[in-house]
Amino acid sequence: MLAYVVRRILATIPVMLVVAFVVFSMLMLAPGDPAAVIAGDQATPEDVERIRQALGLDRPFFVQFADFLWRLLHLDLGTSIFTNLPVTHMIAQRIEPTLALMVLTIVLAVSVAVPLGVLAAWKAGSWIDRGVMLFAVFGFSVPVFVVGYVLAYFFALEWELLPVQGYTPLREGFFPFLENLILPAIALGTVYIALIARITRATMLEVLAQDYIRTAKAKGLGMGPILFLHGLKNAAVPISTVVGLGIALLIGGAVVTESVFAIPGLGRLTVDAILRRDYPVIQGVVLLFSFVYVLINLLIDLLYILFDPRIRY
Amino acid sequence: MSQNTAVAAAPAAVELFAEEPQRGHIRTFLRRHPSIVLGGTILALMVAIALLAPYLWTTDPQALAPRLRVRPPSAEFWFGTDMLGRDIYSRVLYGTRVSLIVGFSVAILASLAGLAIGLISGFIRLADGIIMRVMDGLMSIPPILLAIALMAATRGSVENVIIAITIAEIPRVSRLVRGVVLSLREQPFVEAAIAAGTTTRRIIIRHILPNTLAPLTVQATYICASAMITEAILSFIGAGTPPIIPSWGNIMAEGRALWQVAPYIVFFPAVFLSLTVLSVNLLGDGLRDALDPRMAKRL
Repeated sequence: MLAYVVRRILATIPVMLVVAFVVFSMLMLAPGDPAAVIAGDQATPEDVERIRQALGLDRPFFVQFADFLWRLLHLDLGTSIFTNLPVTHMIAQRIEPTLALMVLTIVLAVSVAVPLGVLAAWKAGSWIDRGVMLFAVFGFSVPVFVVGYVLAYFFALEWELLPVQGYTPLREGFFPFLENLILPAIALGTVYIALIARITRATMLEVLAQDYIRTAKAKGLGMGPILFLHGLKNAAVPISTVVGLGIALLIGGAVVTESVFAIPGLGRLTVDAILRRDYPVIQGVVLLFSFVYVLINLLIDLLYILFDPRIRY
Repeated sequence: MSQNTAVAAAPAAVELFAEEPQRGHIRTFLRRHPSIVLGGTILALMVAIALLAPYLWTTDPQALAPRLRVRPPSAEFWFGTDMLGRDIYSRVLYGTRVSLIVGFSVAILASLAGLAIGLISGFIRLADGIIMRVMDGLMSIPPILLAIALMAATRGSVENVIIAITIAEIPRVSRLVRGVVLSLREQPFVEAAIAAGTTTRRIIIRHILPNTLAPLTVQATYICASAMITEAILSFIGAGTPPIIPSWGNIMAEGRALWQVAPYIVFFPAVFLSLTVLSVNLLGDGLRDALDPRMAKRL
């Protein structure tokens, strides 16, 4: 098992190298002179030259990439073209709201979606089941910013129950913090809930058809223990896989949600960086999110060993 | 020999076309697959709107009228006007074009590229390892972020939006096709074809390709839906279609600053976008149920 863990951890290294290479080379693969594109239409030749040198674009491709990797290993993501601050510094300033939003969304989504999916599978074919499936279809179809605006319109503008926009750090109290984040978390979580509820329902339907579930029923076990101890535990592997993979959706959605609700997080940083064509910042955020995504999924892979003792590699 | 291969391919073909509408069975088909009918109807309506946009009582979607800024919906301006006095009804109708073009183009391009990569990967072991590592890497970058980064490196245009979203979608299609190819290669009818001396080329064309079509079609509809959302998101945050072109994402981006006083600017494109994506998703779910009953049972 230890060998498996080590092998699995080592297997992420080529993946991360590819991620670094893709993020790095995107600027080079793009048509036209990247320095000119970043400088924009109103730039003077001096501006273009300055950006070319700042990004090291005047050196050979693989020299640049090796240098990029070397700096990456020292946790150096380069310097912003716009603010001249280290990208890591800018990310550190903006990471708290995004982290809070993501964690709240994941907790909220899992605790809503899993019971919904279990219920739908248990009462397969009933109106609850149809309702959950219908919600799933809508969840996949209504984009995150539409959900965000609708929620904000009713809960904040019409009924004045919650603040419209903004962010309050956790250290200023848990309730103000939660008040500001709950609508964004619901908006961001909608598609994630749809995803998890659907896979939970599908896996539970399979599990509930197994012989040991019939045995559990026959020996007089209540529906609660059957569903959640015997059933859910055996459905945990596919569900947690989707929870991990779905984080990609959350990361993409967070960029938009932060724009809708004016949350000063990494998403806002990205959007600002796009408008300023601040490529090092975009590169840094994409790299950070991708590495976190890879690590979370690695962790979930390793958790399988706990969920399912049959897994022996 | 050609007879052999035809017989060997038969079970797959029967399965694929079992639920195709044949003469006299159209009504049964419609009743059995309501989501295809509903999704198809809404989508057809949207295609009609996109094609007929100039004739549906629209005005120039770019026409500025500074004196008619931010008017709420009325008999004159059905969906109201935006902060530059442009008619939102006309802009939303013309915006249908952008969404559909992006959705359809990405679905087709990503499917074709994914099919090619998946086939190569499934048949050439040497390439498989390298290709799949690259795909793993690409898949580790959240698709919207990958598209954002690509867009940041190029100029905003509809073509570049299509290319950026396609690149972000290719890895998933490749994985799907590769999986289908690898499982088909173990099937008795492919083994029989190999034993009968069929060339690899012929096996791919006659036995593998037809069997990838069903899952690929279903996947293509989902890609179409997610491409439309991604285009709207890119435009909404200013990294997509240039502002000069009225796309739903652009209209919403322009309404963002005013959404508390003039929510209708955001509302109408949002409804159109959601409805279109919903129709494509319904079509995808229906196709999945119709084309691949085994997959339908699992999800």
